[in-house]
Amino acid sequence: MSEKIKTRSAKSLLYLFLILLSALCFTPFVLMLVNATRTGNQIMTGFSLLPGGSLASNWAVVSENMDLGRGFLNSLFLALCNTALVSYFSALTAYGLAFYKFPGAKAIFTVLLIFMMVPSQLSLLGFYNLVNQMGLIDTYWPLILPSIASPATVFFLRQYILSVMPKAILEAPRIDGAGELAVFHRIALPIMAPGIATMAIGAFIGSWNNYLIPMMLINTPSKRPLPVMVAELSAVRDITTNLGATYLVVAISAVPIMIAFCFFSKYIISGISAGSVKE
Amino acid sequence: MKKLTAMILALLMTLSLASCSNAGSPGNSKAPENNPPASSGNAGDSTGYQKFDGKIVLWTLAKDLQQFADRYKEETGNEVEVVVFDSADFKTKIMQTLGTKSKDVDVFVGEPQMLPDYYEAGFCADLSALDGEVKSRLVDYTYEAGCDSDGVLRAISYQACPGSVIYRRDLAQEVFGTDDPDEIGKLFASFDKIEETAATLQSKGYTIFGDTGALRWFSISSNPWVKDGEIIVDQDRLDYFDCAVNLYQKKQVANATEWSAPWYASMAGPLPVLDADADVWGMDKDQLMNEAAGGGAGTTQVFSYVMPSWGALIVRDNAEGNKGKFGVCSGVCSFFGGGTFLAVNEFSQNKEAAQQFIEYCTLNDDVAQWWLTASNGDVVANKAVLEANKDFQNESFGNQNTYGFYAQEMEKIDYSLITGYDDACKEAFGTAVMSVQKGETTKEEALKEFYKVVLNTYPELSVPADAPVSVD
Repeated sequence: MSEKIKTRSAKSLLYLFLILLSALCFTPFVLMLVNATRTGNQIMTGFSLLPGGSLASNWAVVSENMDLGRGFLNSLFLALCNTALVSYFSALTAYGLAFYKFPGAKAIFTVLLIFMMVPSQLSLLGFYNLVNQMGLIDTYWPLILPSIASPATVFFLRQYILSVMPKAILEAPRIDGAGELAVFHRIALPIMAPGIATMAIGAFIGSWNNYLIPMMLINTPSKRPLPVMVAELSAVRDITTNLGATYLVVAISAVPIMIAFCFFSKYIISGISAGSVKE
Repeated sequence: MKKLTAMILALLMTLSLASCSNAGSPGNSKAPENNPPASSGNAGDSTGYQKFDGKIVLWTLAKDLQQFADRYKEETGNEVEVVVFDSADFKTKIMQTLGTKSKDVDVFVGEPQMLPDYYEAGFCADLSALDGEVKSRLVDYTYEAGCDSDGVLRAISYQACPGSVIYRRDLAQEVFGTDDPDEIGKLFASFDKIEETAATLQSKGYTIFGDTGALRWFSISSNPWVKDGEIIVDQDRLDYFDCAVNLYQKKQVANATEWSAPWYASMAGPLPVLDADADVWGMDKDQLMNEAAGGGAGTTQVFSYVMPSWGALIVRDNAEGNKGKFGVCSGVCSFFGGGTFLAVNEFSQNKEAAQQFIEYCTLNDDVAQWWLTASNGDVVANKAVLEANKDFQNESFGNQNTYGFYAQEMEKIDYSLITGYDDACKEAFGTAVMSVQKGETTKEEALKEFYKVVLNTYPELSVPADAPVSVD
């Protein structure tokens, strides 16, 4: 009896803690949605959890000052390209590093680990100059191509594939006469899929939220992705008139992230537990 | 291994969630402009403007220049593409882009504190062809801010942002028996006077300022912050220091920090008396106003605000029931804050076209007159237009001739007191004042800390031998 009460009270404590935690996670989102319906002045001067009545006027400011659809398409295009490149090329590299023995493999892996530690902001100046000399300022190339090389993803996928796929599994297709690329595409890639999906979410969100680099590299307003457009919106007029509208755009721009997350989240969970061979 | 993978995964998810919030930062644009144009009444004279091939590209911090560009196109047929950037990153963007001698931009803007860096980097084309015109027709301080250290004109402003004390006329009548700007100005003429005024207001249950930060604008009254490589803390600055500490400790300010809800609420009516340690950022304007509705015991009213001309528009737009009850007068010293300067990119291939657009925005009287009306209260830099509007009776300020007042005030600005070190010095000094008024430290310790902070930022400076405290 007392044992039961004990577990019960422990459980309710646990639940209380979890409820508190989820409230903590949700409040910023709720506030963002609520603020999207209030005027800038209301937001500046107070705090509320009840929606206001200015959704329409905020929307008017948004549609008057920015091409939201265009920004969406730009961001989506960049995010999809980035996600595709990150996923495929990182998987390829990780597979190579994990299963081929060649001189310098260790050294390459070490270099990868070192580059993981360098934040991209640090190399921004050099990157800008490089892009400038290549004449690619104000184009999408420098925003898309560098994602072919993303050390963090390679590192993760290498560890992942080593844990889910024993080397022996590659011997079967090789004996059947499959080429090395075919082995990768038809055997390794499907097995790595959960891991790749996990990294893809990160890549998608990272690209969707990327502000600094597009801000520096893109000059033409119609080529700007959403985050840069949002920043512009807040500069269009003085802050009190735009704050509500800015929140509205931020709320709208968070939607694809949530969708992407819902879509991939089952992979995250299975990614941790699944594998081709059960140990 | 699986566990490690799972842990890394969890970590990555947390990180990516944390990064979701980046896009929402609202920036801190304080552009003085606040209303869309009513209508562009008088079509200006378009003669004398050349038609150029192609378009010029303008990079700016606020969208007001779009209205200039539209009007320019209408009158001269020249196209200007206006690209707006977030003010927080604007300077980085300019430094980065022009640092590679980019031709992508023809005209760009800068605020006064950004300009010295632009000049030094060689981004701004020589505008000395316009020197004579700018010098004679625009407000002096904007001319001086537009010249580099060798006196070559490199940037021109269409706006001017002279400072003022924005005070409540009705309270002035009640407490001082007059609401005349000249008379009220005398009550703010020195830090001693301000303390006296504050005491008189306190006896009637009013507070002189929202917070002591209002005094910071008066920190450049007789000496620049840095002279001959030495950091100057003169008697005026010590007076400012004491004045702020006294006002705070005698509870003669409302503790309604600038930009907080109580600060906005104070413009529209009575305010509950707030404790010094009240959390002003978590408050709600409407709630505060309801609480203090009707005034009486436990409430106070803020008598004045010290801000540049765009601040007067903020007060006007938040005044609600108090609209029309404000006036503007001068304070301890004349000052300015902000403003948008236009410069031509040194590497631009359309310099001539770019210069003509700047000329149009700044030196055309019709345009300046149009902007004064269209912006609903922006103070322009064009002296002739200010002169023409000097008798304009501004309803929002008790029918005061605000343009006449600001024009006079700008004549008194002493630009030789401005240095590139001002922002850092003011901020460090303000921190020192704050720590003493809250009783966290002594004046001597705070001043020592002030010198240390400034010296850390600018190691090339030194502390003079006659400084009020010795720094080791």
